[in-house]
Amino acid sequence: MSHLFDRLTFFARSSEPFADGHGVKIREDRQSEQAYRSRWRHDKVVRSTHGVNCTGSCSWNIHVKEGLVAFEVQATDYPRTRPGMPNHEPRGCQRGASYSWYLYSPHRIKHPLVRARLIALYRAERAAGKDPVEAWAAIQADPEKRRLYTAVRGLGGFVRAGWDEVTEIIAAANIHTIRTYGPDRVIGFSPIPAMSMISFAAGARYLSLIGGVSLSFYDWYCDLPPASPQTWGEQTDVPESADWWNASYIIAAGANLPMTRTPDAHFYSEARYNGTKIVAVSPDYAEYVKFADLWMPAKAGTDAALFLAMGHVVLKEFFVDREEPYFSDYARRFTDLPMLVMLRPLEGGRYAADRFLRASDLPGALGENEKAEWKTVAWDETRPGLVAPRGAVGHRWQEEAGRWNLKEEDAQGRKVRLALSAFGEADERVAVAFPYFAEEGARTIERLVPVRRVRLAGSGEALVATVFDLLLAHYGVERGIAGEDAATLYDDPTRPYTPAWQETITGVKKADVIRTAREFAQNAAKTRGRSLVIVGAGTNHWYHADMNYRAIINLVHLCGCVGQSGGGWAHYVGQEKLRPQAGWQPLAFALDWLRPPRQMAGTSFFYLHTDQWRYETLNADALLSPTARAAYRGSSLCDYEVAAERMGWLPSAPHFDRNPLTLYEEARAAGAEDPDRLAPYIAERLRAGSLRMAAEDIDAPENWPRNLFVWRANLIGTSAKGHEYFLKHLLGAQNAVLGRGDEGRSSREIKWRDEAPTAKLDLLVDINFRLNSTGACADIVLPTATWYEKDDLSTTDMHPFIHPLCRAVDPGWESRSDWQIFAAIAAAFSALAGKHLGKKKDIVATPLLHDTPAELGQPIAVKDWRRGECEPVPGRTMPQLFIVERDYARVCEQYAAIGPLLRERGNGVKGIAWETAHELDALKALNGETAAGLPSIAEDIAACEAILMLAPETNGEVAHRAWRALEKKTGLSLTHLAQARRAEKLRFRDLVRQPRKIITSPTWSGIESEEVSYSAGYTNIHEAIPFRTLTGRAQFYIDHEWMLDFGEGFPLYRPPLDLKELEGAPRAATAGPHLVLRWITPHSKWGIHSTYNDNLRMLNLFRGGPYVWLAEADAAAAGIRDNDWVEALNANGAAVARAVVSQRIPRGVAMMYHAQEKTVNVPGSPTTRQRGGILNSLTRVVVKPTHMIGGYAQLSWLMNYYGPIGSQRDTTVIVRKIAEEAIDWLERPLTDAREGARDAPETARFQPESDERGGFAAEQPHFGAAG
Amino acid sequence: MNLIVFGVYPYLAGTVFIVGSLLRYEREQDGWGAYSTQLLGSRRTMVWASNLWHAGILLVFLGHFAGMLTPFFEAVGVPPLAHQWIAFTAGTAAGTIAMIGGVMLLCRRFFNSRVRAASRFSDFFILLWLLATLGIGLATQAVTARDLVNGNVGSMTIFEAYLHSLATLRPHPALLAPVPMIYKVHMFFGMTVFLLFPFTRLVHIWTVPFNYLVRRYQIVRARRTA
Repeated sequence: MSHLFDRLTFFARSSEPFADGHGVKIREDRQSEQAYRSRWRHDKVVRSTHGVNCTGSCSWNIHVKEGLVAFEVQATDYPRTRPGMPNHEPRGCQRGASYSWYLYSPHRIKHPLVRARLIALYRAERAAGKDPVEAWAAIQADPEKRRLYTAVRGLGGFVRAGWDEVTEIIAAANIHTIRTYGPDRVIGFSPIPAMSMISFAAGARYLSLIGGVSLSFYDWYCDLPPASPQTWGEQTDVPESADWWNASYIIAAGANLPMTRTPDAHFYSEARYNGTKIVAVSPDYAEYVKFADLWMPAKAGTDAALFLAMGHVVLKEFFVDREEPYFSDYARRFTDLPMLVMLRPLEGGRYAADRFLRASDLPGALGENEKAEWKTVAWDETRPGLVAPRGAVGHRWQEEAGRWNLKEEDAQGRKVRLALSAFGEADERVAVAFPYFAEEGARTIERLVPVRRVRLAGSGEALVATVFDLLLAHYGVERGIAGEDAATLYDDPTRPYTPAWQETITGVKKADVIRTAREFAQNAAKTRGRSLVIVGAGTNHWYHADMNYRAIINLVHLCGCVGQSGGGWAHYVGQEKLRPQAGWQPLAFALDWLRPPRQMAGTSFFYLHTDQWRYETLNADALLSPTARAAYRGSSLCDYEVAAERMGWLPSAPHFDRNPLTLYEEARAAGAEDPDRLAPYIAERLRAGSLRMAAEDIDAPENWPRNLFVWRANLIGTSAKGHEYFLKHLLGAQNAVLGRGDEGRSSREIKWRDEAPTAKLDLLVDINFRLNSTGACADIVLPTATWYEKDDLSTTDMHPFIHPLCRAVDPGWESRSDWQIFAAIAAAFSALAGKHLGKKKDIVATPLLHDTPAELGQPIAVKDWRRGECEPVPGRTMPQLFIVERDYARVCEQYAAIGPLLRERGNGVKGIAWETAHELDALKALNGETAAGLPSIAEDIAACEAILMLAPETNGEVAHRAWRALEKKTGLSLTHLAQARRAEKLRFRDLVRQPRKIITSPTWSGIESEEVSYSAGYTNIHEAIPFRTLTGRAQFYIDHEWMLDFGEGFPLYRPPLDLKELEGAPRAATAGPHLVLRWITPHSKWGIHSTYNDNLRMLNLFRGGPYVWLAEADAAAAGIRDNDWVEALNANGAAVARAVVSQRIPRGVAMMYHAQEKTVNVPGSPTTRQRGGILNSLTRVVVKPTHMIGGYAQLSWLMNYYGPIGSQRDTTVIVRKIAEEAIDWLERPLTDAREGARDAPETARFQPESDERGGFAAEQPHFGAAG
Repeated sequence: MNLIVFGVYPYLAGTVFIVGSLLRYEREQDGWGAYSTQLLGSRRTMVWASNLWHAGILLVFLGHFAGMLTPFFEAVGVPPLAHQWIAFTAGTAAGTIAMIGGVMLLCRRFFNSRVRAASRFSDFFILLWLLATLGIGLATQAVTARDLVNGNVGSMTIFEAYLHSLATLRPHPALLAPVPMIYKVHMFFGMTVFLLFPFTRLVHIWTVPFNYLVRRYQIVRARRTA
């Protein structure tokens, strides 16, 4: 009753001693406990999850008390797995458990914020009587006014503003940009739709309606493994984590499962109880290593060498010495190993492996009338002779349907058995030269290969060899041709790809490699493929990521593991699996109103527009194979990019050097407005040079991106590879770029401008619930609902369930859900657009897209119209062109309703299509209809219902229809895969009740069933559906001219790059003791990208700010002790952090966990005099030409599917100690002098003496202590 | 004036002190404490500063209390002049110790950025106020020293009489008329400490955990207090 009186118990006190008087029982007031007890009381419990690209997609119960979120607890009601398998729970980790902190934290964005200087300018113009668009135009027309607010990006200075005013500014900026420069200068970036589908769709839908550009992210994040589309034509498809339990042999390489797949890691340890052997490959003693039976500490970036050596052992022991029937049967039916490759003569009687032999090369085209140049050829053992087996990409897109399958038949339906090898049959052997990239330089290795002679159509003949025979030679496997002593080959350190050779590169003992390879294969042979390789960012974030991965994929394919439960290749990097993709796509890209949408490859976009190409130190020629024909020799990396854009391989944004709306008007004036005449008109103008690709003069002000929306992302903080270049060129903010920036001058394709542009963006809009680096640099920041304040959907590749994000509490303060934010922007836009834009026709250029007939671009050789090698033909040798009519005044109305196009043209995915009118009617009944009689999607849940209704994964009837469409294309019987669930329809409320397993659909290559866990490639192997590649099979060999130019027909080991980023370092940085280290940036235990890293609960767990891990011996050599401040720097910038000195780390490596931002506890860098920097202050993105290939079956662009990846791991840095007293927290007011000093001081610049460019590490940098 | 400051004010301060403490104890259990910043740094400074301060100030308090409010010295037969000598020497020593510790604490509070960031206005204010009171108290010792040399115990006698009048609810502020001004200033500051007491971290004095010295090793609490 009273705290005081309750204690006044001197007369009533009855203490009861016990334990010989050592203890006492008292009866004191216990009210103080109420505080703790009420902490865990709640009024209601609501299911939600975290939309954070962690791949977890874990179900959580959110506990609400008095309208506030009190805390969250893991939900434990997932549907059970089948008997004999562990269940999915517990799912969730320390990061998710701390999320509720954000809702009421100081980081929370509570109101719309706008840069004070900008709003003052805008209000002044408005007060002067200008209309919003004219007001914005007036600010942009005055460089001084523009500089006033762009120059202080990142330096604070926000004020609150009302929703109406900020949406008006945004709309005005968009309209001004569309009118002045073109809609393809309005850009949007948001990643990973799977983590919150409606939120992603919100911005993408708005942008697609106005003609803006959606950027890809999976490739830009370097999470996309290019090896996957190269090998299978598949973005990424992997087993669910439960399938680890089914594996009986696991190699884990570069994927730190307990740390980064925390909710799934229990399957990793449970598999061990199941008897699974685990081998871990990791340079450091990472968390996943401690689960392993064997640790192979391969040096960072050398995984390819390790796995090639394992492939060598498997080829030798399971194909040559003894033929394992399961392996050879698998290879024959599901891989390209039996396909024939033509040999190209080199000087000296040698040959080089060239392209696949095609039916069109042969007399009568082997009876193939359609698309014969897209059908590959093998040798049939049943009726000895050449045959074009079913399943090639030519069969996929030919008129005559039903031939695209992996039945062992020829086109006429006769049984065939493809020969893996010509060895023993054909007597002729020739020397084939294979490229080899040694540390001292590129050379060739000549090996004898058994060949056949075939007569070609017309005249002449060609030598051909099977991929299998070439593969054996490439791997250096001895089979008695060259008379070498096979028994000792494993021990030859000079012979590439042998176990002894790899030891010289990786440092892993050859005996371990031989034994592991043997066990891996033996296990696969006995279990029919239950051997699994789990890989992750550690192997994938390298420039030559595809080499690492293809070396690994070769191993699992040789062992017949792909497509088998418990086996295969499991790449877990990014939450890419948007399971109800087909239902979501029309909503996200407004395909129900307008087709096609504008999309752009993120890496290409940022490489060009942040001017990182101007600093390119990598010499593209140094990457070429000695056997290359190399039509583009002498080109810079950016020149390959420009060539790829104009040939229609890669998308472009902006498309051309003028407004596409103006371009249409010009076409109309020239009488070429109808679609048939427009394409030749534009092609002709391009050839004549009166119209140019924007990329050819990327720094021209009319080609700058002008408006950028960032939502659900931290583009400037986490995702900016080359962070400082973003700050300098895109934003015009304070930056720490330390390089020269004149390297780009040597470009042949891009016009050089001496003055590098800065502050290209007129407007950066950030939409987030927490203020991170992107918000700090934005001009307008909009408050969004958190993951506990909105209704949305989430899926992942780690488990087969779909579940909701739910509105447990109303959005805090003035925040709104993303879906409602973009609705508000659309409303403001429509209100102004009627007057300023009205109806407009827009010319959209798309590349030759994968999974469409356009992927059959140039079949045999690369022809570039700009070089006069062919005609510019839209859709074949240059981008496809479309006219899209936009009714700008109706954008708001269109945003909130499902448009008529879906009913007219149907829905589809991955090259198949189905009609979907029935679902639209059902949606009308469910969601209500608009005034125009269309299904409404105005509310967030209505948008969720639209996805669930339209997607085969959540609507059994649609799944049935989708399978029927694929049946027609393949001639196979497939509807049985979803038959059991045909009547099922999942609704949003169903998911709220309990997460639901998706329905098997042709969008994915695995199945949901009672017998097997989800495993990628399952339907390819068990249902004979072809892989979506040139040959229709998993490809060991890739024959595109550019792949061969760069020596990557087969995977090989390529040393990490030497980017010359430490040359000419400022004397002050290298005068004292310092280290030269490789810069490794893996994911952290206390954050998911930048999220949670600034969460007080996570900061409390480790160091409370940024840190860099160093090896004990390295640290001692440079006089660094644990927790000292250190600075890391190179020509790209600098970062300051605390040192964590640990035995875990190998020498030569500095490890800074990914995405620790400079918003918490980061002092200034003594070198740059700017705030310390982040991991990406040290990186610069470097593009790889082979990822730019397009219009070539599986090597065709599709958003987030194929395209250049933003690799950042081949970076080196100088690390040195900073004395505690030299730490400067830069806590000073903004003065004119400070505002003026946007670049790092001159004394901090790197001044390399030579002009020499980097290549692969001709000589590994001398890592360790120096100076 | 004299009546208000030395007749009314003491009771006002005393009332606020008692009632305020009680109210705060009843209403703000969660905020009741010393607001220690010991974890935030300057560990070596803190060891000296805190111990010097607490030891000194406790002795000073004990001196005031025992020497002037209780008939302790009379009881053990110490003559007034000797009493004043003891008060003077012990008071100056203890006051100086407290002053050294207090200044260290003050420097730490102002110049250690973390401590400063963790401090509320009342933390700065009460520390400054206590040091001012202490400083003036030390300054009075100059007058006392002169009195001692002259063998004059008049002031001390007056203080004792005055305090007794306060304690027995028969305030007699007129007694203080002949006392030098500096004593009065010190007394005003001292009384104000009581006034401020319930609004600051000083409340921790009420709940010094003396029972740690004598408590049993293990204490279990009954589920119900009844």
